[in-house]
Parts: sequence; C-alpha cells; structure tokens
Amino acid sequence: MTTYPVRTRRWTRKEYRLLGERGVLPEDEPVELIDGQLIVAEPKGRPHVTAVALTAEGLRRAFGAGWHVFQQEPIALDDDSEPEPDVSVVPGGPRDYLVDHPARPVLVVEVAETSLDFDRHHKGSAYARAGLPDYWIVNLLDRRLEVYRRPGTDPAAEFGWRYLGVEIFAPGTAVAPLARRNALIAVADLLP
Amino acid sequence: MTTYPVRTRRWTRKEYRQLGELGVLPENEAVELIAGQLVVAEPKGTPHTTAVRLTAEALRRAFGAGWLVSTQDPIALDDDSEPEPDVAVVPGGPRDYLVDHPAWPVLVVEVADSSLLFDRHHKGSLYARAGFPDYWIVNLVDARLEVYRRPGGDPAAEFGWRYLDADVVATGGGVAPLARRDVAIAVADLLP
Repeated sequence: MTTYPVRTRRWTRKEYRLLGERGVLPEDEPVELIDGQLIVAEPKGRPHVTAVALTAEGLRRAFGAGWHVFQQEPIALDDDSEPEPDVSVVPGGPRDYLVDHPARPVLVVEVAETSLDFDRHHKGSAYARAGLPDYWIVNLLDRRLEVYRRPGTDPAAEFGWRYLGVEIFAPGTAVAPLARRNALIAVADLLP
Repeated sequence: MTTYPVRTRRWTRKEYRQLGELGVLPENEAVELIAGQLVVAEPKGTPHTTAVRLTAEALRRAFGAGWLVSTQDPIALDDDSEPEPDVAVVPGGPRDYLVDHPAWPVLVVEVADSSLLFDRHHKGSLYARAGFPDYWIVNLVDARLEVYRRPGGDPAAEFGWRYLDADVVATGGGVAPLARRDVAIAVADLLP
C-alpha cells in the first residue's frame, strides 16, 4: 500500500543500551536491534520454545566444556545491531561476558516458524555481513535443519551479504558444527 | 527487496517525550512521531525554508489577532502521533499551549518537494483520521497549492482515512482558509 519511502529513526547499540538503562524500553520487551532498526519479535509458541530448549541441550552435549551455549542472549554484532539469536555458542564461560555481550559466536541458531523468511533473508544477511561462520535455522514448517556457511557479498541481499553455502538436513541425518567437526548432532534431536 | 514483514517497535507520544527528556533523542533532531513510527525528516533546502516563511507570513496576515501561526512546532495529534507540520494555525496565543502542544489546528500546511507523496498519502491520511478540517500542501515540484478538505473513511488509505476533496490552485489563483472564509490568500505569495 505504501509506495513512497518512509525513513524511520535508526538506533545505535549505544543508544539501544541507554533506552534500556533509562527505562524507556522495558528490559523484558521482546525487541532486537538489527541494522539500526528495533524489530519486534513475534510471539513464540510452544513448538518454538521446545525446539530452542532441545537445540541448546543438543549443542551443550556436542560442545562440552570450554564453550558456553546461550539462549536468547544479546550478541554485540556491530555498532547498529544487537540481535538475540535463539541459541548461540561462544568460547569460554558466562563470566567472560560480564562487561560486554559476546561479539563473535562460533554458531548461531534461529528456530523459525512464521519468521522463516525474516530469519533466512534479514537476519541471515546481517549475520553473513558480520562474518559469523556457521548459521543454522531449525525450520519447524518443513521439519528440517538449514545450515548456512561461507559468508559472501551479494548486492541483492538485504545488507549486501548472504551465505553462499546452503545445506538442508532432514530429520534422519546428522550435522557437525564447524567449530566441533568431530561432534555429530542428530537433526531429529533438535525438532519438537 | 524486502518481501517479508518487518515489524519495528512503535512508540507512544508519552514514550517519545521521555526519549527527549532523558536525553536519548537529542531535542533538535529532525524526527516526527507518525502513527507510532519515528520518521526522519528529509534535509530541507532553501526553497523549502523560504516557502515555510512565506506561508507563515501570509497566514499571519490573513488570520490576524487571536490566532497563533506556528512553524514546525509539535501537534498533539493522538496517543501515537506528534507531527511537526511546516505551518499550523491554532486559536489563541503562545501561553495557551504551555502545558501541552495544541491538538486541534484549524489549518495545517506542509511544504513539499521530495516528500510530496509522503505528505499527500501518509501525513494526509493521518491528518484526515484526526479530523483536521483544512490541509494544504505547498507543492514546490509543480509550483501550486493543493487544498485537502472533508476527511472521510477509505479502507485503501494508509490509516483508513483520506480527504475526499482535493483542490488544486495554480499560481495565479487564491484561496481562503476554512476558518477565515473572508480572506483571500494569493498562491503566488506562498511560493518562493
């Protein structure tokens, strides 16, 4: 319906933090800062919550000691982006991120139903631009895992970058994270 | 390029005020709150600022005592909107709006060059929904005045309302505000 550009105010990560600290934005409000835009998260159903818990559990088992698996925690992606991936894996332990949020997770995972296109093209492009090496989408609509790797430029992508490697894994198969190539995770273990 | 819905965080007028008071949003930043969205104003060239001054001057002459002609001041339109029309005419004097911004201008004017479509369809629909009786666009692109009146419902409009009457007045013509039907303003006096 809108056929003219509407330029909305963009926010930096620093301003986003101020919004929380000064109480303008309630701490528990489900928003994420993506490329300067405050994006409202869709309400999450039980299958989504279940898949997040299963994925976090699967990744904790696979990665083991020396790695920390976060659930819906902020990532300091760039100056204008602080997404909260459903699951992310970072080196070290919780105390290593006391001062600032982790910036370079070795693996980020989004669980997607209604947000599938957004997770694929919008977040996917933001994650690729930041150079995150391993991005997974637990696709609840088609009951499969999508694995995105090899970030590369693409002028047609939302933020000029996308993942050049895309692999689809069905429930009967297994996948190893790039950072833990010897640990196989069964796709069936991630699905509700 | 974006083919999926991106829902950005919407703001209320109360939150918008907080953003300013707490210093998160600099007071002099060129944004307007339009239906919950913080819309960034396009940079204004000298033809724009000249037309704003000319229009304010002409309206002050036309309305005379008992009316306040403000330029780029906030209007308390609704709970989610605080636009700053280029020129607005409200009853009374400056001290009448010490506590809150005026809510019911008898005339609002936007000066449009690059923002023409936005002013026609976005702001126009918003102003019509608020029931503003008299909305003018000083159209710098075509060097003419557009006069919008009679707000009415239209499901296809951005905010469900639009002005049912649109009159175009050329440079040689004149127009009388609805609230001052006895005075004629020459369109040539409003154009740079």
